[in-house]
Amino acid sequence: MRSIDRLFEKSSRALAQRTSRRSLLAALGQVLTGAALIPLLPIDRSARAGEAPATPANPHAKAAKPATDDPKSCDYWKYCAVDGFLCACCGGSSNSCPPGTAPSPITWIGTCHNPGDDRDYIVSYNDCCGKVSCGNCECNRNEREKPMYRPSRNNDLNWCMANADSNYHCSVSVILGVAEK
Amino acid sequence: MRTIVIRAALLSLASCARLFAAAPLPAEHLTLTSMPPDSPHRIYVLDEAFFNEIDARVHLFDGDTYRRLGQIDIGFTPAFNLSPDGKTSVAATTYFSRGSRGTRTDVVEFTDNATLKTTHEIVLPSKRAMTLPTIFTLGFSADSRFLYVSYVTPAASFGVLDPAKYTVIDEIDTAGCVLVIPSGPNRVSSICESGNLLTVTLDAQGHEASRAFSEVFFDADRDPIFAQGVPETNGYAFISFLGEVHEVDFSGAQPVIRKPWPLLAAADKAGHWRPGGYQVGAIHRHLNRLYVPMHQGGEGSHKDGGTEIWVYDLSSHQRVARWPLAALKVSGVLAIQVSQDDAPLLFAADDHSDLAVFDALTGKLRHVEKQMGQTPWLILNN
Repeated sequence: MRSIDRLFEKSSRALAQRTSRRSLLAALGQVLTGAALIPLLPIDRSARAGEAPATPANPHAKAAKPATDDPKSCDYWKYCAVDGFLCACCGGSSNSCPPGTAPSPITWIGTCHNPGDDRDYIVSYNDCCGKVSCGNCECNRNEREKPMYRPSRNNDLNWCMANADSNYHCSVSVILGVAEK
Repeated sequence: MRTIVIRAALLSLASCARLFAAAPLPAEHLTLTSMPPDSPHRIYVLDEAFFNEIDARVHLFDGDTYRRLGQIDIGFTPAFNLSPDGKTSVAATTYFSRGSRGTRTDVVEFTDNATLKTTHEIVLPSKRAMTLPTIFTLGFSADSRFLYVSYVTPAASFGVLDPAKYTVIDEIDTAGCVLVIPSGPNRVSSICESGNLLTVTLDAQGHEASRAFSEVFFDADRDPIFAQGVPETNGYAFISFLGEVHEVDFSGAQPVIRKPWPLLAAADKAGHWRPGGYQVGAIHRHLNRLYVPMHQGGEGSHKDGGTEIWVYDLSSHQRVARWPLAALKVSGVLAIQVSQDDAPLLFAADDHSDLAVFDALTGKLRHVEKQMGQTPWLILNN
């Protein structure tokens, strides 16, 4: 775990220092000790104990970036296993389908950690259907996502499959409740 | 003064000569390019066209000339595969009657790879598995007698099709198990949620004769296998998220599961190396080599592209090479394929949609084909 902490520390420092929005933290980071700095940063620590955190190995990998409260950002904590286009960038919101589309009645569920209140939430990932893929705000996060032989945990399937218009447009993440520990 | 006059005369002569030489271009004839003969270095690159997903296509590309040979249109969230003789491409796809909306038609389309013309189709029930590309959503029996297509509604089953009469023969329920892994003339295996395989054996007419489950060989919670397999001589290698290789021999009446072996040594585990992407391995059958795109990641990084390609000897299970990609300006590799000839090429599609061509023996980068479509996520070859 110590090495994981070091990894968090390193990525947190690097991120804080190159992100203008966090310039205050970056300035603080110059004077504060590392151990004191880490709790100030809203890092998503939902990765399971013993698992290494994901790193931004490519532009699509968003898992290691700090969680935000911006529903148009793939780093928003509720999107921890969204693979698709964010409806919030397509005329809808994080839990609402854009006009003219139809929500998918079938879906899969996952658990995301909200660093704001330090709770795990069960979320329902629904697709919005009936128009061609939105193409804005592509988001590819896969925390605790499983292959399609476990469909209740899979985000590769087109969950518009059972809709009258089964074309995939975008994805939302709807809070169902707090996950029991 | 005389010199100047002579120079001027020479110059004017030179300009006249240039004018003379610049004869008009001859008239051209509009022609139709034919497909070149098949080659072991021809690949079929599936572009999911994720940003306008009703418009997926397959790009045909030649690894020797670096020429794009043509295109096959494959619609929405398609399945794609080649016939055992390599002469026919098949795509299971969906079209909507009004382009992006309207009545849904699921269909399997057959394309002649010598002409790239679509020649036949089979209309399916509207049950086709709409998912990311894998070779296990559509495939022929070894003798081409049957064609199998995966259904997910989300109830799981598969269709048995007749690719000679272009008809649907039957639908076979596979509750709890998905995908179609053809073997022999009449067997279809599916991967089950409980970590084993279901194998359905068909009778001569293509209807179910019997079914059997294998032993459980992977843990879908702790270390799931990718829902794809890397073809090898007698079956497939299934790679897990944490880097275990489960080789399964499909040559007999029932699959035989070999003892798994690790891609990662202790130091690799400490460095958080993992396989990842959309097509996570390729095997050269004669050389007995396995190529895997590897990245440094963790929980949820299983779709990250490889920053290195690691090469293994399948007999000794030892890593024989490690090819870093960043210095070559190749981005995270999402899909990988190797030609099966004696001068093999390794093809790697990256997350910037470029296609890198390597010498598969040395790892030397031969070519980068920029922008091989929009989202190239699967590469097939003969």
